[in-house]
Amino acid sequence: MLLAYVAESAWTPDEALACVVASNRVCDALRARGKLVAAAPLPPAASAASVRVRRGEVLVTAGPFAETVEQLGGFFLIDVASLDEAIAVAAEFPPAQRGTIEIRPVQPLDGVPDVRFDSPPLPGVTRYVLFCYDDAEQWEAAGPAALAAAQAEAAANMQQLASRGQYVAASPLHPVTTATSVRIRQGKRLVTDGPFAETHEFLGGYLMVDVRDLNAAVAIAAKHPGARLGTVEIRRLLDPTSASPV
Amino acid sequence: MSASAAIADLYRDKYRRVFAGVVSLVGEFELAEDAVQDAFLAATAQWPAAGVPSNPVAWLVSTGRFKAIDAIRRRKALRELEPELQSRIAAIQADNGEVSEREIADDQLRLVLTCCHPALDIQTQVALTLREVCGLTTEAIAAAFLVAPPTLAQRIVRGKAKIRDARIPFAIPGPEELRQRIDAALAVCYLVFNEGYSASSGAAHLRDDLSQEAIRLGRLLCALHPDAETFGLLALMLFHDARRAARTDGDGDLVLLADQDRTLWDQARIAEAQDWLARAIAAEPVGAYTIQAAIVARHAAAPSAERTDWAGIVGWYDALLEAAPSPVVELNRAVAISMRDGPEAALPLVEALAPALSSYHLYHSALGDLFRRTERSKEAIAAYGRALALAQQEPERRFLARRLAELAGCDEM
Repeated sequence: MLLAYVAESAWTPDEALACVVASNRVCDALRARGKLVAAAPLPPAASAASVRVRRGEVLVTAGPFAETVEQLGGFFLIDVASLDEAIAVAAEFPPAQRGTIEIRPVQPLDGVPDVRFDSPPLPGVTRYVLFCYDDAEQWEAAGPAALAAAQAEAAANMQQLASRGQYVAASPLHPVTTATSVRIRQGKRLVTDGPFAETHEFLGGYLMVDVRDLNAAVAIAAKHPGARLGTVEIRRLLDPTSASPV
Repeated sequence: MSASAAIADLYRDKYRRVFAGVVSLVGEFELAEDAVQDAFLAATAQWPAAGVPSNPVAWLVSTGRFKAIDAIRRRKALRELEPELQSRIAAIQADNGEVSEREIADDQLRLVLTCCHPALDIQTQVALTLREVCGLTTEAIAAAFLVAPPTLAQRIVRGKAKIRDARIPFAIPGPEELRQRIDAALAVCYLVFNEGYSASSGAAHLRDDLSQEAIRLGRLLCALHPDAETFGLLALMLFHDARRAARTDGDGDLVLLADQDRTLWDQARIAEAQDWLARAIAAEPVGAYTIQAAIVARHAAAPSAERTDWAGIVGWYDALLEAAPSPVVELNRAVAISMRDGPEAALPLVEALAPALSSYHLYHSALGDLFRRTERSKEAIAAYGRALALAQQEPERRFLARRLAELAGCDEM
């Protein structure tokens, strides 16, 4: 999974549009080579909602999970053979020029329904992506049994969503220690170990759903085990059709 | 030589080469480690009766590979494997396990490039390279870098997990990227060398080992990727290492180049360094390591600080400023100019660097030296005082304190 982080003030509206167009062109080339799974730009982070569940109470706050200068502006799911290939792809995307592209390997999880990126949402349905930010220390303290139980619970939730036609895709990511960041500065490719920013909670996985509105998405986020120890950030997909290969 | 003695020698000297040949194929450290152990066990069982094969390293690599492939097969069917691994396995089986010298060298280079991958942080690169390429134990690396062994163990575990989960490939990239990646490996090598060479805290002999390990790694890189900068780095390390015995006095205090007892310099090392430097310059293009080696070579050839080819050194600093411009290089160039043309000529050059280097202790120390040599002791005392306030390492602090005391003495007279 490639995550594009850019300071929203770094672009004028025209430049932002040009970035989306240029990114789409890279996506088209990847798709032609069978290497693109899905891609989507995201609306400004200010429109995000963050969900936490503490002592059984659902807390919804406006805005992204963390106040960083660079904000998640889009993501790309690609299918490549190695990190070197992922780095080469990341370097092609325009956000690498002004922001950071964080590369995170996706971890396969058993018992998760099949993805259906290809089927666009039905009329009157909106596609949301839920980014699950975890505090690794909390999970470590909870122990491996708690983690396994949480994963089973998440998988069961997804099966239930799938049975209702609400499930699009989901996957945990490998721990943040496997993250790599790519930036292009003055024409030079800079590759560094680690995520784009050091935050307390790190992206641990994502879930994409087709639901009626934000409240339906909040309800799903609140049921996600990650919301009890971390934060689930809900972002509406900017252009739902662009999440599916066209 | 008996088979068991041959195996013992191979285990001691060639284990890492065999390991590189196996891990580069299967891409998993633990699996490769087990398979190499199994290959040596197989040698112990077969060689006493069958005789030592003509190319024992190639035998061990191909046996290790088959053991690893067997282990992978026990986990999952061949057709479920990555297509790339599938085709490599097919190729190995087709040529019946013949492993060439070239292939073994390439596999070692693959392992080096993987351990020095820019997606790993530099400390992890260093730890992985020392353990997996050089074969140092976790405890030895931890002791040399003054960290607790569990901390270092964790760094290595994380590094390997990242290589596995993020799929850092065991691959030699195309020519345009290879340059950058080799540079990263050279940087790791030089960092290891400097860690052993410049720091004076901790157990001295462990740090010395680190420098020797870096030189060994430098030699390996010269064999794996012969090019100008690889030769240049080896020459640079050998020149520095030749002066090791003269760099500290009986109390462990630093002795400046100008004051070193040049009879303590290791002439055999210097001669070897000169050979590598000549090869580097002949190989072209001349890069930053080669230029630095050429500068150190001028010092190594000089009978004293005064009778040094300072004009030649200034010329090489000009080249270094072009290859790798930095304020520190400008400072060193200015110091060389002070030796060629006198301190007055260098003072304005050094003072112009104040904005860039005001928090660098060696800047103030160089400035202090120029003031001292132009007999402006008040300015010299102020500059050395700033240097002392910024210096971290004990021997440097003692040196600066000595200089200050000398100047204070002059002032009173």
